[in-house]
Amino acid sequence: MLVLTRKLGQSIVINDEIEIVVLEVRGEQVRLGIKAPRNVPVHRKEIFEQIHEENVAASEVDPGDVPG
Amino acid sequence: MTKVMTSRFGEIEYTTEDVLTVRDGLLGFEGFNKFLLIEHKPDSPFRWMQSLQRNELAFLVVDPFKFFSDYDIELPDQAAEDLGLTPTTGQVVYTIVTIPRGKPDEMTVNLAGPIVINADTREARQFVVENPAFSVKQRLVIESPVESVA
Repeated sequence: MLVLTRKLGQSIVINDEIEIVVLEVRGEQVRLGIKAPRNVPVHRKEIFEQIHEENVAASEVDPGDVPG
Repeated sequence: MTKVMTSRFGEIEYTTEDVLTVRDGLLGFEGFNKFLLIEHKPDSPFRWMQSLQRNELAFLVVDPFKFFSDYDIELPDQAAEDLGLTPTTGQVVYTIVTIPRGKPDEMTVNLAGPIVINADTREARQFVVENPAFSVKQRLVIESPVESVA
């Protein structure tokens, strides 16, 4: 993993088209601004993990438990 | 007609026009991209997405707009374009239902990971919705067909 140190207001640029700016640092929280082309999906990693877990749980449903 | 054996529904006959292709598969099931949409029962709001590649893999789905009147997903332009969706394309959205075994009262629906289908091409994709109002585990109560998630 590439590790870079940045200060408030500084940014990194990925592949000339994606820019990530450090907007605010408060204790353990860091606010980031992300400028990316519209075709680049940007999501928090947790949401992928949650959907993944939920898909796995949903794959076990028994038709006998479905109401109606 | 082609036949497929399934663990839940026995043998099912289908034609190639019935097949749904899920681009990239579902998160956690990336290798499985061919599904059939099957009615749960006549007049039931539920349907099943049955995998054609693994006979025991099936997902219970519902049309979220029938139950959550304020449900709203904004697809990124590029995502809509990838699926070939235009204002005149038939578009269908399903959300996946989870029922813990033997506990239908604990039924939830995943509003954060909807499956969007281009009804004309039968191509589909599971999208990620970044909206804290739409949970991966939204309770689904069948008695009242329209309720607010707010």
